Amino acid sequence: MKREETVKIHSSYLEGERVPNFKTLSGLEYKEVYTAEDTTGARELPGNYPFTRGIHKTMYRGRLWTRRQQSGYRSTKESNERIKYLLSVGQTGINMDPDLPTHLALDPDNPLAHGDVGLQGSSIVIYEDMVDLYRDIPLDQVSNTMIVEAPTSAVIIAQYLLLARERDIPWEKLIGTIMNCPLTQFVGPTYQAITTFFPVKFGVKIALDVMEYMVRHAPKWNIVNINAYNIRETGVNAIQEAAFALALAQDYVRGLIERGLEVDVFAPRIGFFRAVHIDFFEEIAKLRAMRRIWARIMKEKFKAKNERSMWFRTACQTSALPLTAQEPLNNIVRAGIQTLAAVLGGVQSIHTTGYDEAFSLPTEESHKLSIRTQQVIAYETGVVKSADPLGGSYLVERLTDELEEQIWELMKVIENRGGFVQCFMDRWVEDQITKMRHQLGEAFTSGQQPIVGVNLFRDERDLTKINIFRHNEEWQQQRIQEIIEYKKNRHQEPVQRALEALESTVRKRPEENCIEAIMKAVENRATLGEIMDTIRRAIDFKRPGL
Amino acid sequence: MKKHGKKRILLGKMGLDAHDNGIVIIAKWLLDAGFEVVYAGLYNSPESLVQTAIQEGVDAIGCSFLGGEHLYYTRRLIDLMNEKNIDNMKLILGGVIPPDDVEELKRLGIACIFTPGTMRDTIIEALNNLFIGSK
Repeated sequence: MKREETVKIHSSYLEGERVPNFKTLSGLEYKEVYTAEDTTGARELPGNYPFTRGIHKTMYRGRLWTRRQQSGYRSTKESNERIKYLLSVGQTGINMDPDLPTHLALDPDNPLAHGDVGLQGSSIVIYEDMVDLYRDIPLDQVSNTMIVEAPTSAVIIAQYLLLARERDIPWEKLIGTIMNCPLTQFVGPTYQAITTFFPVKFGVKIALDVMEYMVRHAPKWNIVNINAYNIRETGVNAIQEAAFALALAQDYVRGLIERGLEVDVFAPRIGFFRAVHIDFFEEIAKLRAMRRIWARIMKEKFKAKNERSMWFRTACQTSALPLTAQEPLNNIVRAGIQTLAAVLGGVQSIHTTGYDEAFSLPTEESHKLSIRTQQVIAYETGVVKSADPLGGSYLVERLTDELEEQIWELMKVIENRGGFVQCFMDRWVEDQITKMRHQLGEAFTSGQQPIVGVNLFRDERDLTKINIFRHNEEWQQQRIQEIIEYKKNRHQEPVQRALEALESTVRKRPEENCIEAIMKAVENRATLGEIMDTIRRAIDFKRPGL
Repeated sequence: MKKHGKKRILLGKMGLDAHDNGIVIIAKWLLDAGFEVVYAGLYNSPESLVQTAIQEGVDAIGCSFLGGEHLYYTRRLIDLMNEKNIDNMKLILGGVIPPDDVEELKRLGIACIFTPGTMRDTIIEALNNLFIGSK
């Protein structure tokens, strides 16, 4: 009799269903089983040097991580509404993202900027934007992260300090973070992306200006956050993510020491922002290994005495790379698992990436779901009730040791090449990233990195529809016009005077801290683009369009 | 320049978005599949891209988007090509483009649109089909 079965069986019972390999995402081998012989065991308690098990003794028993979803789109007024919405559903920190022209220090009326105004964040160009952005929000009570890199960070921080002054909030009471890292914040350390509109060396110089100024005037403020998330999202693995970020942080520490600052004065205000990818145990082990390495670097290499200087404080975002446009609801599961890894890894704040990531900016609905994901883990699962619950796991401890070793190795290579900034300028970093991207494409095609619903179990019939955030095209034109009018209608003389003073300072004494000169320009109603074009001119840098 | 019969594709991003994982991987895939790739990188304007396309005598232009800027730039690119009476180059897009906009862009004459999760073989097959019959 003719067989007529037509149902396709993915993995038959006889074959046994199996994953394609037993490696971590960065290529380390998972052993069949781990035993006491694989590890010397957790050597210290949470809150004790080198802080493998967490930087605090009680971890989440004492205080939960901060729920800090990024937000920002179109006008600062609309972003202010979204911030208020997020706070109303239980977000505990603010995380504000400007649009691309703002990141690259271009005004909306610059022809290069027209198509991108207000799309991936909010347009923040003039002091008045800052006023609108944080209207009604108590800047001394909620910690506020501003996702912006040098050189733009100098203008943004100037606007922010002026806003605080205007509202009678002493600078010493400001709590929050300026990301400030010129090499990683925009899209990770890819060469063309971050050298086209501003030179790297002077970008690092301005980043150090911001750090120095804030250490001296706003001691509770976090002065730099090395964006390892963006490093990872270029396609590199966990080992590279960690080594690149830690090597870069050392460059900043050296830069500040060269300016005569005591390591224990500024080091407690350095933070990290990490990716949490989908390889559950590797990501947890990575977080533990990085804490250990940072503590050792700060104590042994930079001779820090204050334990806080040795704390690897880290925010994180669940990686968007494993999220898919196919069957987008699966992303809720992925982000939930990634968020759990972040919690078990002992991070200080979390952004859970929205399930609509492969389509658009998050809708209000998706934003809320991200917060709820974290709240379910925090309040329902019980995983927060003991510090470092995975400490002593044979597998986790062994993987922590292995990753630590590999990260140190790679950091040595970078140090021998003159540090991370040098490696970036020599395009060594670029070469590493390109190789990894090609590998990523290969792993995706071959199925060695399985993505359910995409390169396996793909279902072409899937028609899941989700709500998608839509942009309003008319708004761009309005915003461009608004800035043109603003420039036309202000008192021109004080603007010119402030910009000329800035230019002359930077030209004659480029090593001098330029934050106060920038603040003067902001106070006199100069725009972001005007201020940065002035600096570009002073250092003879030609950006596209000039 | 097309002695060996290889099709030439110009790849680049327009505007200020610098997310280029996708387009870098696509460039490698196209090279491996026997296409010639002219890589224009980031921060192109529609004008500079069209100019490069003419200079390099390419058979297609491929652009990648992520941040919602795809309609703005693609419309300008199409207008510019119409203005210059360029009708021998195909337009290909990739990246984060919502389903409704995919329809709209196809109406505007885009030959292929590859959104996230498209497999390599699907892309190569579509491009091979695209050039069947053209010399």
